[in-house]
Amino acid sequence: MSRSTQLVVGLALATAAMASPVIAQEDPAKKTQTAKTFWGVSAEKLEYRYSDSDEELAVVEGGAFYGTDELKFHWLFTGEWEEAHNAWETLENQFVAQTPVSDFWDAKGGIRIDTPEGKDRVYGVLGLTGLAPQWVEVDTNLYVSDEGDASVDFEAEYELLVTNYWILSASFETLAAFSEDREIGVGKGLNSTELGLRLSYDLIYRTFSPYIGVVHERKYGDTADLARDSGGSTEDWFAVVGARIMF
Amino acid sequence: MCRAIIRLVCTAISILNKQVYVMKKSILMAMLAGFAAATVNAGEYDISVDRVEIDTGDFVKEGIGYNGASPGPVLRFKEGEDVTINVTNNLDEMTSIHWHGLILPYQQDGVPGISYAGIKPGETFTYQFPIVQAGTYWFHSHSGFQEPNGAYGAIVIEPEGREPFRYDRDYVVQLTDKHPHSGDRIMRNLKMSADYYNRQQQTAGDFFAEAGENGFMATVKDRMMWGDMRMMKADVEDVQGFTALINGKGPEQNWTGLFEPGERIRLRFINSSAMTYFDIRIPGLEMTVVQADGNNVQPVNVDEFRIGVAETYDVIVRIRDEKAYTIFAESMGRSGYARGTLAPEHGMTADVPEMRDAPLLTMADMAGHMDHGDMAGMDHSKMEGMVHSKMAGMDHSNMEGMDHSAMGMSGGAASDPFYAKGSGLTPQAANGGKFLSYADLKAQDPLYEHREATREIEMRLTGNMERYEWSINGVKYEDADPVMLQYGERVRFKFVNETMMTHPMHLHGMWSILDVGEGKWNPIKHVVSVSPATTVYMETEVDAPGQWAFHCHLSYHAASGMFRKIVVEGGPESTVAEGEQSGHQGGES
Amino acid sequence: MPASWAAGAHDGGHHDEAKTSQGNGHGKEMGKPMVGQPGKAKNVDRTVAITMMDNYFEPESVSVKPGETIRFTVKNEGALVHELNIATASMHEAHQEEMQMMVEHGVLKGDRIDKEAMNMDMGNGQTMSHDHANSVLLEPGQSGEIIWKFSKPGELEFACNVPGHYQAGMYGDIDFE
Repeated sequence: MSRSTQLVVGLALATAAMASPVIAQEDPAKKTQTAKTFWGVSAEKLEYRYSDSDEELAVVEGGAFYGTDELKFHWLFTGEWEEAHNAWETLENQFVAQTPVSDFWDAKGGIRIDTPEGKDRVYGVLGLTGLAPQWVEVDTNLYVSDEGDASVDFEAEYELLVTNYWILSASFETLAAFSEDREIGVGKGLNSTELGLRLSYDLIYRTFSPYIGVVHERKYGDTADLARDSGGSTEDWFAVVGARIMF
Repeated sequence: MCRAIIRLVCTAISILNKQVYVMKKSILMAMLAGFAAATVNAGEYDISVDRVEIDTGDFVKEGIGYNGASPGPVLRFKEGEDVTINVTNNLDEMTSIHWHGLILPYQQDGVPGISYAGIKPGETFTYQFPIVQAGTYWFHSHSGFQEPNGAYGAIVIEPEGREPFRYDRDYVVQLTDKHPHSGDRIMRNLKMSADYYNRQQQTAGDFFAEAGENGFMATVKDRMMWGDMRMMKADVEDVQGFTALINGKGPEQNWTGLFEPGERIRLRFINSSAMTYFDIRIPGLEMTVVQADGNNVQPVNVDEFRIGVAETYDVIVRIRDEKAYTIFAESMGRSGYARGTLAPEHGMTADVPEMRDAPLLTMADMAGHMDHGDMAGMDHSKMEGMVHSKMAGMDHSNMEGMDHSAMGMSGGAASDPFYAKGSGLTPQAANGGKFLSYADLKAQDPLYEHREATREIEMRLTGNMERYEWSINGVKYEDADPVMLQYGERVRFKFVNETMMTHPMHLHGMWSILDVGEGKWNPIKHVVSVSPATTVYMETEVDAPGQWAFHCHLSYHAASGMFRKIVVEGGPESTVAEGEQSGHQGGES
Repeated sequence: MPASWAAGAHDGGHHDEAKTSQGNGHGKEMGKPMVGQPGKAKNVDRTVAITMMDNYFEPESVSVKPGETIRFTVKNEGALVHELNIATASMHEAHQEEMQMMVEHGVLKGDRIDKEAMNMDMGNGQTMSHDHANSVLLEPGQSGEIIWKFSKPGELEFACNVPGHYQAGMYGDIDFE
C-alpha cells in the first residue's frame, strides 16, 4: 500500500473509531433493577347507541399496546356495528409505533386497515397525540389511502371530575378529507363531527367504568349528500350506554 | 517416723492430685468457654423465600414472605458477631435479599447485577459478613416488586457496650402499605395513567367550595395556573388504596404491644412501605427520639414525627398509667393509616383518631420544577411565599445561629427548613406540639472525624410525572453511566429536587451524613428524604470498596429510572476496612 | 479544673424563668423540707462520686440517711453537656421546660454552654443563668460538686434535665435508708 493510501486508510479508521458510539458499560443491574417494558389493554368506548331515528349501533373503540418508554407498539381498533344492516358500518384496525417527542406529546406512525361492510381501504398513518394545557387530551392523525386520498382527523377530550369516582367527559371528533372517495362515502372538505358527553362511574378501580351519555353526529357538505343519496341520515342524536375498560 | 514421711508424701500426692484435678477442671472450663465464645460470635440463620398469603383485614392477597410469613422474621444479631445467613429460594423466579443499612462487603449487599447475580429458584445462597454496628435496621428483596408484594423483615442488632438510653422492653413496629394490586400491576397502571391511584384529585365540588371562599375568578385563575403546567396540587401520594399494616396487621387487626405501667418502652419504628410516608403519633404520649436510621441521636422529645420510606426511628415512651394508647400512623397524603395499640392487657384499646385533611401542594412546591418558560402567563400576584430566584436553594452552611423564626418554637406557625417555604407538605403536630424535623437530629456519637468534603457531586432529582418516568440529572438508570468514586475521598452530595414529589434517597454500603448545619454533630443516616423544590446536602466518607446501588426508595420511582450504580475505585484488598481505620460502628454508646 | 456552673453556697433570689406549670423557678422550691437544703462543707458526712456519661449516670442509685450531708463530686465524662439535679420527679419535669427554653435561646448547644447567651437579658431583667445549689451543669470534661443535706425521706431522684436526657433514662434513685 502506498504511503498516501496508508494515510487515508489510517485517517478513515481513526474517524470511524471516533464516530463509533462509546460502548456502554455492561451493567446487568440495568435489567434487574428496571421495569422496562409495559403493556396495556383498554377500551375508551364500548357502548350501545340508540338514535332518535331508531337506529341501533354498537360502538367499540379500544386497543392494546406493548413497549418501552421510548417506543410503544399500539393496535387500535374502531368498530361500529349496525343492528339494522347486521354489519360493521366501520371496522378499522390500526397498527402504529408511538414515540415521545416532548414532555406531553407523542408522535406515531403506521398503517390503518379498513374492512367494513363495503369497500376495503388501507391507509398510511402519521399522528400526534398528547395532553394539551388545561388537561385536554388530543389525538390527531393524517391518513393517506392506497387510492391516494388524504384525510385528517382530530379528537379532543376533557374530563371533569364530578367526584373522584364520577367523571363527566366531553369529547369532540372531526374528520376532514382532502379529496373525495365516493366508494366509501367520503366527500371533499369537512366530513363529519361527533360530540359526546358521557358520565361514568369508576366501579372497579379504573378497570371497569360504566357510563351513560349522549352523542351528536353530523355530516357536512359532499359527505352529507353522499349519505342522503344512499338513504342514510346526516344528523343524529344518540343515547349511549356502555363502559370504559382499562387493564 | 516412716509413717510420718509416708503420710506426708500421701498428703503431698493428694494435694497434687487435687491441684491437677482443679487444673484439669479449669482447662476443661476454659475449653468450654472457648467453644461457647466461638458459637456466640458466629450466628447462623436460615431464611426461606416463599409464596405466602397476606391477610390485611381489608383483603387477602397472595404475596411473598420469609419463613412462610409476611413480614418475615425479626433477625437478632449482636454487634461483633460473624453472621451466616442461608437463604433458600422457594419461588419460581429469581430473588435476592438486601440488608438495608448494614455495612458489609459489597458482595453481601444483595442487589442482583451489582452485588451478585441473585438467587435462582431452588437455590440456597449463603451470606456471610461481620456485624460492625448496632441498632434497628431491616431487610427486603431487591428483585422486581417482591418487596411491595411482602418480602421484608426486621433486623435488631444488640450493641457491644451500653446504649445511651434505658428502657425496660422493646418492640419492632414495622409499617408497610399493602395494596390489593401486585407491584407489577401497579407499575403498569401508573405507566398507563399516572393518576390511576389518586382518588384525592380536586373535583367540581372542591372548585365551588373554594370559589365560595376565595372568589370565583381567583379559583379559576388558580386552576388555570396548575392546568397550564398540567400538574396537580393533589399529587402528594402516587399510590393510594392501600391498607397500612403494623407488623403485618391492619388497623382492624390491631397489632398490640403489652407493657407494665411505669415501664420505659423502646419502639423500633421501621417504614418498610413501597411508596408511603407516615406521620406517627401516640395520642396522649410524648415520644423521645433516640435513634435515626440505626444511629444514636441526641435525644429529642417530640409529639409526632414523619418517617420516610425505608427510614427507621427508635423512640422511648414511658406509660405510667394502666390504660391503652393508640399508635397512629397517618399516611402523609392522608389516604390511609396504620394503627396499633400499647396496652397493659390484650383486648384493651384506645380511641383511634380521625384522619386529618389531605394536604395540597402549593406553588412553593412547584418552584423546583419550573423554568422561565412556564412562568409567563401566571398571575404573579397570587404567588404568596414564592421567591422567583433560586427558590430551590437552602444553604445549610449558613444555618449556624438560626433565627427564631426557623426554630419551630411552640405557638409559631409550622416551619421546617427541610421543606420549601410555604410548602403544602410542611408537617404539623396534630396536638399543636412538637413535630420532629431533620434539623433536630444530631449525632450522639459521630462515626467520623469531621473534615471538609474533597469534592461535590450534584444530583438533580428529575422526572416526568405524566409519563411516570423518574430520573437523576434527567437521565434514567438504563441510559446512565455509573458514578465513580475514589476510596478515601469525602464526597458532598447535593440533591436538588426539581420535581414535586418527596424522594427518599438511599445509598447502599456507606453512611449518608446529613448536613443539618451542625458540623461534626450532623446525623448519620442511610436514607435522606428530599422534599419538593428543596436542596439537601449529605456527605459520605467513601470507605467501602466495590460497587453499590443508589436510588430513590419509592419502589416505582426506582424501577422507572431513579437509580444509579456507584463504583468505588481503590481501597484495600479486604472488602471491609478494619474498625480502627474508619469507624463503621453505628448505634453504640 | 474548669469552673463549674454551680456554687456551693447559694442565696434564694435569682432568675425566675418563664412560668411553668409546676412553679416559678427554684427560689420557691429551695429549702423545701421535702428535698433538703444546701449543706455546709464542714458538715459533710461523706462524699459520693457520680460520673455523667452519655446519657446516664454512674452509679444509678445512691443511698442516704435522713439528716445526712453529702458532698457529690460530679465529673462529666460524656461528649455532651449534662446536668445533675437533686429534686422530685415533678420538679424535674418543671426544670426540663426551663432547660428547653435554654436550648431554644441557644444557651445550651449540645456539647457546650454559650455563656454570653446565658447572661443575656431576657427583657425583664432576668437571665438564664443556671445557679442552683441543688444542681450542676457541666460541659464535657468539667467537674463540679453539690453539697446537700437530706432531711425527711421522700421520693427523690438525681436527674439530668437537658431536653430528652431524662426520658432517655438519665436519672438515678435516691434511696433513704
